[in-house]
Amino acid sequence: MNSSSLNVLASPPLISTLTPTLKAFHRINFSSKLSKRIRCMHDPSINLNFGSRSNPKHDFPVSLATAFVEAPLGTTTTTSADKLHLLVSEFRSLTEPIDRVKRLLSYATALAPLDDSARVPANRVTGCTTQVWLEIKVDELGRMRFKADSDSEISKGFCSCLIWILDGAKPEEVMGVSGEDLSEMNVGVHGKVQSRVNTWHNVLMSMQKRTMALVGDADVEHREGDRSEPHPHNLLFDYVNGRSYVESSSKVDRDYSISLLPLGYDFTI
Amino acid sequence: MEGVAMKLPSFKTLSPTPISVASTFSIRRSFSFARRSSSLSAATITADSEPVSLGHRARKDFRILHQEVNGSKLVYLDSAATSQKPAAVLEALQTYYEFYNSNVHRGIHYLSAKATDEFELARKKVARFINASDSREIVFTRNATEAINLVAYSWGLSNLKPGDEVILTVAEHHSCIVPWQIVSQKTGAVLKFVTLNEDETPDIDMLREMISEKTKLVAVHHVSNVLASSLPIEEIVVWAHEVGAKVLVDACQSVPHMVVDVQKLNADFLVASSHKMCGPTGIGFLYGKSDLLLAMPPFLGGGEMISDVFLDHSTYAEPPSRFEAGTPAIGEAIALGAACDYLSDIGMPKIHEYEVELAKYLYETLASVPDVRIYGPRPSESVQRAALCSFNVEGLHPTDLATFLDQQHGVAIRSGHHCAQPLHRYLGVNASARASLYFYNTKEDVDSFIVALADTVSFFNSFK
Repeated sequence: MNSSSLNVLASPPLISTLTPTLKAFHRINFSSKLSKRIRCMHDPSINLNFGSRSNPKHDFPVSLATAFVEAPLGTTTTTSADKLHLLVSEFRSLTEPIDRVKRLLSYATALAPLDDSARVPANRVTGCTTQVWLEIKVDELGRMRFKADSDSEISKGFCSCLIWILDGAKPEEVMGVSGEDLSEMNVGVHGKVQSRVNTWHNVLMSMQKRTMALVGDADVEHREGDRSEPHPHNLLFDYVNGRSYVESSSKVDRDYSISLLPLGYDFTI
Repeated sequence: MEGVAMKLPSFKTLSPTPISVASTFSIRRSFSFARRSSSLSAATITADSEPVSLGHRARKDFRILHQEVNGSKLVYLDSAATSQKPAAVLEALQTYYEFYNSNVHRGIHYLSAKATDEFELARKKVARFINASDSREIVFTRNATEAINLVAYSWGLSNLKPGDEVILTVAEHHSCIVPWQIVSQKTGAVLKFVTLNEDETPDIDMLREMISEKTKLVAVHHVSNVLASSLPIEEIVVWAHEVGAKVLVDACQSVPHMVVDVQKLNADFLVASSHKMCGPTGIGFLYGKSDLLLAMPPFLGGGEMISDVFLDHSTYAEPPSRFEAGTPAIGEAIALGAACDYLSDIGMPKIHEYEVELAKYLYETLASVPDVRIYGPRPSESVQRAALCSFNVEGLHPTDLATFLDQQHGVAIRSGHHCAQPLHRYLGVNASARASLYFYNTKEDVDSFIVALADTVSFFNSFK
C-alpha cells in the first residue's frame, strides 16, 4: 500500500473535518478499536481497511468504495454513520464539480450487478427522473442487504455510494441516515434545496421505507428505544407527508407519496 | 394627473428609457404610452445599419440572458418550458403595481377605473393577437392547463354522455389528457388516441377515420412540444364540424411562435399560456366561440362571476366574467398585453421566419452529432419543424447529459418526459433531452450547445 494511493484520505480537508465530527460520535457506540484506526489515518503507511476482511490488493486510487464492494461482510464494527461521514469528507475534498462527477462515475462502475429478475415495478424507486431499481433483503444475521441499478450513470454512482454505506447495516442504522447528510454530495443539484431530480434522497427514502416494511415496526422500535437521538420515524413522517407513524409503516396500496416539492426543505414557519 | 406620468420606474431598463417622450403622454393614454416605449426600442433597433439577426437584436431586451452560470455564459435553450420576458413586459408589471394597482370591475374610484381599463384593454390585445372577433371570447385563466380543465369541467361535464367519444393523440401534453380522463370517468365518455405514423407525426389519416358520429370533441395540439410537428388544424376542424364535434386546440407552442388566427382556423376552443410567449407566469387564456361560452355553466364559483347571490341560489354573469371567479391576476394580464404588443411590434411573421431558419440549423447540426436520435419528423419542403429538438444520445441518460451541460458549459436544456409520458412510452424511451429555441436565441447559441454536447458525449464515453 503506497502512500500516493492514500492521497484521498490524507488530504487536509478530510482530516480537519473528521476531528469535529469525532465529538459528535460520543453518543454512538464508538468502539475503541475504531478510534485507534482514525488515529492511524494520519500515518499513510498503515492499512486502512476498517475492520472488514477486505483484500489488501485492492487499489485505493479508484475510490474507497471499490475496496469494500467485494469485501465479505465479516465482523465489521464500522457503522454506517462512520462510512457516511467518510464519504461526505471525500466528496467535500473534491472542490471541482467535474471531479465529483468523475468520482461518481467511477463509483458507478464499482456497483455490483443487479439480476434482471429484480428489475420489476415493485423495485422501482419512484420520484426519480431516471430509472432506479432497488433490491432489498434481510440476511440471516438480520442485516439489510441492498442491490441497485439505474439507466443513468450518475444515478448508478449515487446508488453505489449509498450501498457502500448501508449494505450489511442493521435496520436502525439504515433509518439513522438523514437526507441532510447527503446534501454535501450533491452533484448537479444547486444549493441545499433538493429538487425532484435528486436521486440520492429518493433512493435513501426508498431504502428506509422498505427496510421498515421488511423488518416490521415492533423490532425497530424496540431497538431504537435505547438511543437518545432524534427518532428516525420523523424521516418517514416527511416521506409519507405527515401521516402518523403507525399508519406510515403499514402497507399502503395507493402510493400518493411522490411530492414535487423540494425534499428535505424546511416548510415550517 | 399629468404629474404622475412624469414619474417613471427608476430601475434600469435595457431598451432606451423614453423619459422625455413619456412626458408628452397623459396617463389616460397609457396604452399608447406602452406601445410607444416598445416601438421606440424597435425603431432604434431597425435604425441600425448592420444586418444583425433578429436574435442578436432581441437579446438586448432580455437582461436575464446576459449572465454566467457555473462559470460559463448562460445559453438558455429551454423556452418551450418557459420563455424569458423582455424589459417592456417587466416594466408594464412594475408600472401597474407602482401607479394604478387596484381591484377591478366594481370599483368606483379613479385607480380602480384605471386598472379596469387596462385589464380589459389587455383582454382586447390578446383577442387581437389571435384575431378573435370579440374580446369577450377571451377568458383569462391561470394558465393553459386551467383553461383546458375549464372546458373539461364546464363544457365536458354538461355535454358528454356515456358512449360519446373524445379524440386525442398519444403526443398530447398531460394537461390535454388528464382532464379528459377525469371527465370521461365521470360521464362515461370514451377516449380514443391517434398514434404516430412512420414520420413520427400524429397520423392524420387515422385521425380522419376515427372521427365518427359518436365523436363529440377533438382535443389536439397545434405544435408538439416534443416532436416539433404541427397538425393541420383547419382541416381537422372541417372534419370535426361535419359530424357536429367540437375542436379544442392546445396552442401553447404555436401562439408564441407563429401567426395564429382563430377565425381562419375556426376552432371552437383554443388555449395558450402567457409564460411561453414572453408574458409573466400566472396567467393564460381560453378562447371560446361566443355561443359556446354562453351555453356553458360556471367552472369555479365565487365573486366576479355572479349576477345576484341569494342564500339558496345565485345567478351568473355573462361570459367571460362567468368563468373568471375571484380577483384576477390583474398585473399579469396587463403584462401579457404588453407581451402581445412587444411580439406584434417585431411581427409574428418575422419571428416565425427567423425560427424556421434556426430550427433547420438546430436540426442539421444536432443530427450531425454521432449517436444522436432526434424525435419527430425530418424537416423537408412540406414539413416545417418547430425550433426545438427532443433527442437521445446512445448510451447516455438525458438527465446525466443535461446535468453535465449545465455544470460544465452553462447550457440549459430540459430532460425528462416533458409532460408527455404516453408519447415517450410509445416511442419506447423513458426520457429524452430537449433543446428549444425562441427568437432571442442565435446561431451562436446553437453552436455553443453542439460543442458542449460533443464534449459531454466524449466525457461519458471515456468512462465506458
